[in-house]
Amino acid sequence: MVARLTGTSVHRVEDPRILTGRGRYIDDLAVPDTVQAAFVRSPFPHARVLGIDVSDALAGPGVVAVLTADDLARVAADLKPAGPADLRLPVFGALARDVVRLVGDPVAVVLAESRALAEDAAELVEVDYDPLPGVGDMDRAMEPDAPLVFAELGTNVVHRSTHRYGDTERAFDGAAHVVRERFVQHRHANVPMEGRGILAVPDPSGGGLDVHTSHQSPHALRMHLADVLGVPGHALRVRCGDIGGAFGQKSGLAREDVAVAGAALLVGRPVAWIEDRVENLTVGGQAREERLDVEAAVGPDGELRGLRVRMVLDQGAYPQVGFPTTGYTSIVRALLPAAYRLEHFDFEAVVVTTNKATYVPYRGPWEVETWVRERVLDVIARQMGVEPVAVRERNLLTPASFPTTSCTGVELQGFDPRRTFDDAVAAMDLPAFRDAQAEARAEGRLLGFGLANVVEPAPVPPSLIRAMGIMAAPRTVQEARSRLEPDGTVTVFTSQQPHGQSHETTLAQLAADELGIALDRVRVVHGDTMLTPFNLVGTGGSRAATLASGAVVGAARAVRERVLHVASELMEISPGDLELVDGAVVARGAPSVRTELAEIGRLAHLRPGLANADGRPGIEESATFDSAEGTWSVATHACTVEVDPVTGLVQILRYLVVGDCGAVINPAVVDGQVRGGVAQGIGAVLLERSAYDDDGQYLASTFMDYLLPTTTDIPSIEVRHVHHEPTGGIDYRGVGEGGAIGAPAALTSAIEDSLAHLGVRVLDQHLPPNRIVELLDDAGYELG
Amino acid sequence: MSAEPRLEATVSLRVNGEDRQVHVEARRSLADALRDALGLTGTHLGCEHGVCGSCTVLLDGGPVRSCLVLAVQAEGHDVVTVEGLGTPDDLHPVQHGCLEAHAFQCGFCTPGMLISAVALLAENDDPDDAEIREALGGNLCRCTGYESIVAGVRRGAELLRLDGEG
Repeated sequence: MVARLTGTSVHRVEDPRILTGRGRYIDDLAVPDTVQAAFVRSPFPHARVLGIDVSDALAGPGVVAVLTADDLARVAADLKPAGPADLRLPVFGALARDVVRLVGDPVAVVLAESRALAEDAAELVEVDYDPLPGVGDMDRAMEPDAPLVFAELGTNVVHRSTHRYGDTERAFDGAAHVVRERFVQHRHANVPMEGRGILAVPDPSGGGLDVHTSHQSPHALRMHLADVLGVPGHALRVRCGDIGGAFGQKSGLAREDVAVAGAALLVGRPVAWIEDRVENLTVGGQAREERLDVEAAVGPDGELRGLRVRMVLDQGAYPQVGFPTTGYTSIVRALLPAAYRLEHFDFEAVVVTTNKATYVPYRGPWEVETWVRERVLDVIARQMGVEPVAVRERNLLTPASFPTTSCTGVELQGFDPRRTFDDAVAAMDLPAFRDAQAEARAEGRLLGFGLANVVEPAPVPPSLIRAMGIMAAPRTVQEARSRLEPDGTVTVFTSQQPHGQSHETTLAQLAADELGIALDRVRVVHGDTMLTPFNLVGTGGSRAATLASGAVVGAARAVRERVLHVASELMEISPGDLELVDGAVVARGAPSVRTELAEIGRLAHLRPGLANADGRPGIEESATFDSAEGTWSVATHACTVEVDPVTGLVQILRYLVVGDCGAVINPAVVDGQVRGGVAQGIGAVLLERSAYDDDGQYLASTFMDYLLPTTTDIPSIEVRHVHHEPTGGIDYRGVGEGGAIGAPAALTSAIEDSLAHLGVRVLDQHLPPNRIVELLDDAGYELG
Repeated sequence: MSAEPRLEATVSLRVNGEDRQVHVEARRSLADALRDALGLTGTHLGCEHGVCGSCTVLLDGGPVRSCLVLAVQAEGHDVVTVEGLGTPDDLHPVQHGCLEAHAFQCGFCTPGMLISAVALLAENDDPDDAEIREALGGNLCRCTGYESIVAGVRRGAELLRLDGEG
């Protein structure tokens, strides 16, 4: 008897390959005759390009071509990012033409027989720059006399909008307390361990391209590339193999993708570009640079009556093709009330452009709503002299509140935020911690407790998409296909594109259970636009667990139905009296009466009309899954820290996540997603920063300057699950983003708590040791 | 300056127990030689400036960052890459420990982590978690938060000790 796989931590199907160095990442592919690309990039944040002399570079050994914007224009159209009417969008080339707008802006691409030779030659390209004043700061960008990043837009403020829900005037008029703060989230980045990369192979019969890439959304990339290059859709194939992480960074159409694919068309040879770390940190895409000015109207018992929020987002120079930046401000607006009661809410969104790298989605791209909301609740607690726990209890929705619609129009159902919150607070034993904290303070030691509540739209409910103002709400439907092979094994085709999320295992678990077969009888195929169903997003937004799961189960059930139909014909037993067990169809109650699945697979392929009335051979079925009104994952993060007042180092003493993500397909995979997200959030607070100077010069282009957390920075992270409302149906909810969303809020909450008695308020999210020491100095703290 | 001659060399080294010769430019790193000349693409390049640890290999038994070692420096030396540890059907105990612990997600840092772990266990066959974390401190992982990797190495050590007893 094959034990049920779903719900257990079966070993990963990916691992025998990955653990033995047999993975196929983009730089591991070898196609004969490939030339390697190296980009010539601007050292200036802003400059006019007066001329480019490629003659020395062209004479370099092994150099095949040196292409500039004019050369590329022969095969590639300009990039036209799409977005709503109230977002000003520039049109720009994959290679900069007359003006460079950030450090690392590509002005030419060198193709040579090896990467080293291409890099040598790139050094020989002479670019005559006339430096222009740059702007590396959002406030400066908004000043009327600021240098313009795109002169044709006439302004650096590319979007401004306001929304009003309820009546904030009234809320503020009657407020017992008013809190006003400015919260700053620093620019940081996804930093996958494998950088971006692409290998474009021209079709020898002309006109077509076979593109191998490290990307999250192969179908979207294919669509965009076909459009920009004018290659017919039928002639462009995008394939992804193993992907060394992405976290949102490898999701849009990158300018390098266009340049490399265009170069392949121009020279008629395969062209590869493997991004190096300096490039990845400089131009791979950065995220999260946002500032929120918040005013909160608070009732006498700490109830949140009204909020006024002004959010400014710095999108950098070139907007990403694929994700308009207004998407981030609008999802922050829609989600900000989360699982708390809030009736009156004004929100202003401003998006500015500066001479910095492109703003890209990063794991939980709306994370700042949780950080700022939870910070505000802490500030209210401090101002009122009550526990942060009490303020949250006062404001959290209760089970009796559900289902409900937030003031922003988001429908909430299927979870109980008090459940994870109460569990987490109890598990942390707050009274005992407060005693320990008081004792520590008496000894001059600084301990703190922090917490945060996260709701994660996974899968995204249509009401959220409507609340974001996207009227033609795209349904979050996913398709999967399942095929019984002649030998009785099963192939599952998914439109998901894993980059570490273990889909080959979790989706196989679901299909294997539906068909009563062992895990190694299922293979999950992904990452090939020729084979897999279309899906605009690929893997992102926790779509795998939530939507792909439903589609895979549906397709497997459809195959099962055909299998039972065939077996019924062969065995002359009604389908209702048959079941699939251990790789065979058996008669219920008489397991010795059986037909092997392999026999059914073979006959279904060989005997026309056996499986399908129209004579189609084999058994292959597809299914879609629509999550209807969507569902929510919910989690409470809680942690304790000790801050060293001498060094400013923060030690995390305990970190706990209590979450409800519905049913769990593979607990080890789920916990791994949560822990990985938390680690990224911890890194964001304590270490990571994509630093620029005021003019836009980039200051963090190596791992010496951009610090990632290591084994000694990340504590053991406890993960507990509660399951509020088992539905019995497809109830797998996403956890991909929640870890990264909750951690900055919980950690900054704890750090502030450790310093609160000194009068310190944590309003910046970035808290490296020097910043902690500054906060202590500013508070007049003297070392004892 | 385009006509400047480039120095090249033939390097003899032992890789995963086999004597190999590679002809490389003198400026190429050991990682380049392993990946490009010998086709051993398990050794990954995550930063090429000696910080991320993805390219870690054993050189005469000790862990080195193969992006910081020139191929010519490996002349006459013994190199072990991830391909030299185990195969899918016959995993090295550390690989098996990591399989059991769901140690890795995207898998890009994996080869370097495994090599660092093997180097640790050669020195200390029963490390505690703090010692494992210390030994892996030069290997960056962006996916896991490290806990599962530590558990995998701990389990690997256990399996290795059982192997030793068997």
